[in-house]
Amino acid sequence: MTNRAALGEFEHLVLATALRVKDAYGAELMRELEERTGRQVQGGSLYVTIDRLERKGFVVTRLEDPNGRRAGRPKRYVEVTAAGVRALAEQRDALLRAWQDIEQTLDRA
Amino acid sequence: MSTRPPAFLRRLLESILPPGPIREGLVGDLDELYAERTAQGRRLTGAWYLRQVASAAVRYRGGRRGNARKGGSWFDGLFFDLRVGGRMLVKFPGLTIVGGISMAFAICAGIVIFELVTAFGYPTLPVPAGERVVQIRSWDLVAGRPEERVLYDFVVWRDELRSVIELGAWRDVTRTMIDAGGEGRAVHAAEITASGFRVAGAAPLLGRVLALTDERPGAAPVAVLGYELWRSRFGGDPEVVGRSVELGGQRTTIVGVMDDGFGFPVSHQLWMPLRVPTGNQEPRSGPPIRVFGELAPGATLETAQAELTALGGRAAVNSPATHEFLQPRVLSYLKGFYEPSATDLVLAYSIFFFALMLVVVICGNVALLLFARAATRESELVVRSALGAGRGRIVAQMFAEALVLGGVAAVVGLLAARSVLAMWGVDFLEGNMGRLPFWIDVGLSPATVLVAIGLAVLGSAVAGILPGITVTRGMGSRLRRAAAGAGGVQFGGIWSAVIVVQVAVTVAFPSIAYVQFWQVRHTQTFEAGFAAEEYLTVRIEQDAPILSGSEADSARQVPAVSLALTIDELRRRLEAEPGVGGVTYIDRLPRTGHRDYEIELSDAPLVTAQALGGSSPLPPLREADVALIDPTYFHVLGKDVVAGRAFNGNDLAPGTRVVIVDHGFVDQVLQGRNALGQQVRFVDDVPFEAAEGPGSWYEVVGVVEELGMGAPWKRGRAAGLYLPATPDRLETLHMMVHVRGDPMALVPRVREVAAAVDATLGLTDFQRADDILKVWGSALWLVVASLFAAIALLLSLAGIYAVLSFTVTRRTREVGVRVALGAGRARVFREIFRRPLSWVGIGVLSGSLLIAVLAALARGTNFSWADSLPSRFSLMHLATLMGYATVMLGICLLACVVPTRRALGVEPTEALGTD
Repeated sequence: MTNRAALGEFEHLVLATALRVKDAYGAELMRELEERTGRQVQGGSLYVTIDRLERKGFVVTRLEDPNGRRAGRPKRYVEVTAAGVRALAEQRDALLRAWQDIEQTLDRA
Repeated sequence: MSTRPPAFLRRLLESILPPGPIREGLVGDLDELYAERTAQGRRLTGAWYLRQVASAAVRYRGGRRGNARKGGSWFDGLFFDLRVGGRMLVKFPGLTIVGGISMAFAICAGIVIFELVTAFGYPTLPVPAGERVVQIRSWDLVAGRPEERVLYDFVVWRDELRSVIELGAWRDVTRTMIDAGGEGRAVHAAEITASGFRVAGAAPLLGRVLALTDERPGAAPVAVLGYELWRSRFGGDPEVVGRSVELGGQRTTIVGVMDDGFGFPVSHQLWMPLRVPTGNQEPRSGPPIRVFGELAPGATLETAQAELTALGGRAAVNSPATHEFLQPRVLSYLKGFYEPSATDLVLAYSIFFFALMLVVVICGNVALLLFARAATRESELVVRSALGAGRGRIVAQMFAEALVLGGVAAVVGLLAARSVLAMWGVDFLEGNMGRLPFWIDVGLSPATVLVAIGLAVLGSAVAGILPGITVTRGMGSRLRRAAAGAGGVQFGGIWSAVIVVQVAVTVAFPSIAYVQFWQVRHTQTFEAGFAAEEYLTVRIEQDAPILSGSEADSARQVPAVSLALTIDELRRRLEAEPGVGGVTYIDRLPRTGHRDYEIELSDAPLVTAQALGGSSPLPPLREADVALIDPTYFHVLGKDVVAGRAFNGNDLAPGTRVVIVDHGFVDQVLQGRNALGQQVRFVDDVPFEAAEGPGSWYEVVGVVEELGMGAPWKRGRAAGLYLPATPDRLETLHMMVHVRGDPMALVPRVREVAAAVDATLGLTDFQRADDILKVWGSALWLVVASLFAAIALLLSLAGIYAVLSFTVTRRTREVGVRVALGAGRARVFREIFRRPLSWVGIGVLSGSLLIAVLAALARGTNFSWADSLPSRFSLMHLATLMGYATVMLGICLLACVVPTRRALGVEPTEALGTD
């Protein structure tokens, strides 16, 4: 895994959420992230992260006509690319390896 | 609660984000989440949105700060100064609270005034390319007013003008919308061409806007709803598009809903297609319309005017009978409604200047406090200087400290201004001007935030730099003196001036409250002349005829006849209701201001003041306030004529020309002569009811008491003149119902009866006749102004007390020395009190002078309260001023006595040891 492909914690969460949610877009991702992580998500942080993921080639985004909803503001949909799925899988493997043998220690804590 | 985020925060967010997908997507996402949170009833949604905006600012605008930190030392210095400033605020909480509240208050007042002044003085049209949107008006050079019956010309302009594109038109109509319960409510609507939506560049919230096909004769009736109407009448139903409602007597399909804030062309909430007749429209016929368009690319107002003038010239040649004296003019869209005169602008600038002065004066007060604090930190500053800090560095630090205070004050001031504008701003403006045009936005704009920042920086400069410069003056010699055990910052000439100005302004401020008192008194004592609390009043409107082709003109006459019958039936049924004593009609309600007309008497040609010589102190009035009334008016009001006779049914017959006048008319126009039998006529303009035109004489047949003609905000006593009219001939129609018991309890029944008589009758503005003055917005504004003045007064007094007290405390050492040298207590008191007392004395005198100047200026204005201002300085005013001066001196004495007594109680040796 190259350094460019390394995922930060929030990138990881955004990528996983975008993969899970069908037709993911900004507001939906913020809702889902807040529900799953219990922490308040700032739209600015989310968009900066999405841009970074897009530059890394892990997601592609597209604007879609709002059909008269949202006062004419389009939705920016996020779709995870094959490279993004691979990066998530690698991240998961790395994490699992890092977590090996320490579960019991954590349980005792 | 609104489901839209605060407009100014939303605009701020838009300005922060880069244009394109990020701005479009994120603004839409946050809108969606905001609406969701509001709908869920979650608290602090506004704060949540603010955090989102702040986060976006950090993410998308934070780069520059980082660079500065890396690249420039000035940022580190500023950051350090601001941090120290923050600590100082915590260390001196008293000063922080008093100074912070003072500055916040000043900034709040400045912003509120700025918003109101710019909203009217310099409005901008909030549509894309708003500065290129224009109106075309046809000016009648003979009548000196615009000719609005321009359907014929509109068709010509639309076909031939090249420099104005998207040419469209609209006309104002009132349509009764009947809801599921069968109850009709009048709605202010625009019949408009589809191009209006293109010029306004507005996308619908739901459905679609009007299309060209909707304008074709025979097209199905359709309407577009405004956001507020959609929320209030349809509960914000997302499925409203496609529904059918009865509108102006015909089933109409709703095809769209516009977004919040959209009101093009003025303040409309309902749009229907304007069907421009395709047949041969006669020049200067048809209903009044207004024409708008957009300058074509490359065109200017001048080129458009040149083209229009050429078309106007051709029309004058082709149709001299109608167009010889018509001149088409193109002007920017907003100027077509209102162009502030030079006097208006001077007034607006004066008000804003007043606000700036308020900021400067209050910040001067804070400067005094900061200076006093700086003086207590003298040794610290001397040490810093000795360690190599330059004068500029120390001044910069003091500025930064004030800036922290100013920054906090700006935020508090902005929030307070936002609340004031939201709570009172719209009420005040609508109370004075009716429904506001959509381009008037009294919410906080980015420009206002900039002004707040500007005011905070100005205030901080006054409060920080001035004391900084003073306290660092002669720092070198101070250092030497400090080393020798002497020293002490003194209040020099500039500070004496600041204190004097403070006192003067503090003396002058209550004059605002004084004027307010007179205004309220003037309003309260403006008698209705009858038992107004027993009358229910309501405005009645009936739908304008639907425009369909060239028969529009003749159609105008039809509803008037039916309205007369409807109104008679409504009166008959209401009078049969229990508790109703009578029903009558008038064009404008008592005490709401009637239109005045220039008049002439048959037995007294126009007389000039000079011709009267010394026989009368005032020339006879030649103006009358005219009301058009139902013949039963005086009887229903329980005020029968005091001389002559009342109107009767015969007076409504064509050719019968009789009037009744009130005592105001008899006293001022006739100067006490017998009114009965007098002949009166209108000189230039005539009430539209008086179809006889100028020159016809009317006979005075009766005299009544004064029954609320004129208005509290108009100068002088009104001369009332009543003309009889049938209700259908009144330009505006108000019904007055005499009710035994609570008039407002009858409202539901009146609605039911009106709906049963004619569902297309729109009833609005139900109120008790004595409540009319309560909705008068200016009173509200004056209350706010008085509140501002009272707060400013309190803060100013607190500042003066603190500073005087401080100056005396600083002289503890001197007192000790004097006492040690054998000076008597009385002499010490005299010495100590001399300067503070002279400051206050000069301040009180200057303040009195300021009041006199302000009063003289006020008398020159056209405001009604100028009438109620005392014409000369009486003993009572002198006593009031003396009393006030005594209070000021009392505060001054209190500020001096306490520290002086304390200083006198200190042992001389101890006093000499103090620093």
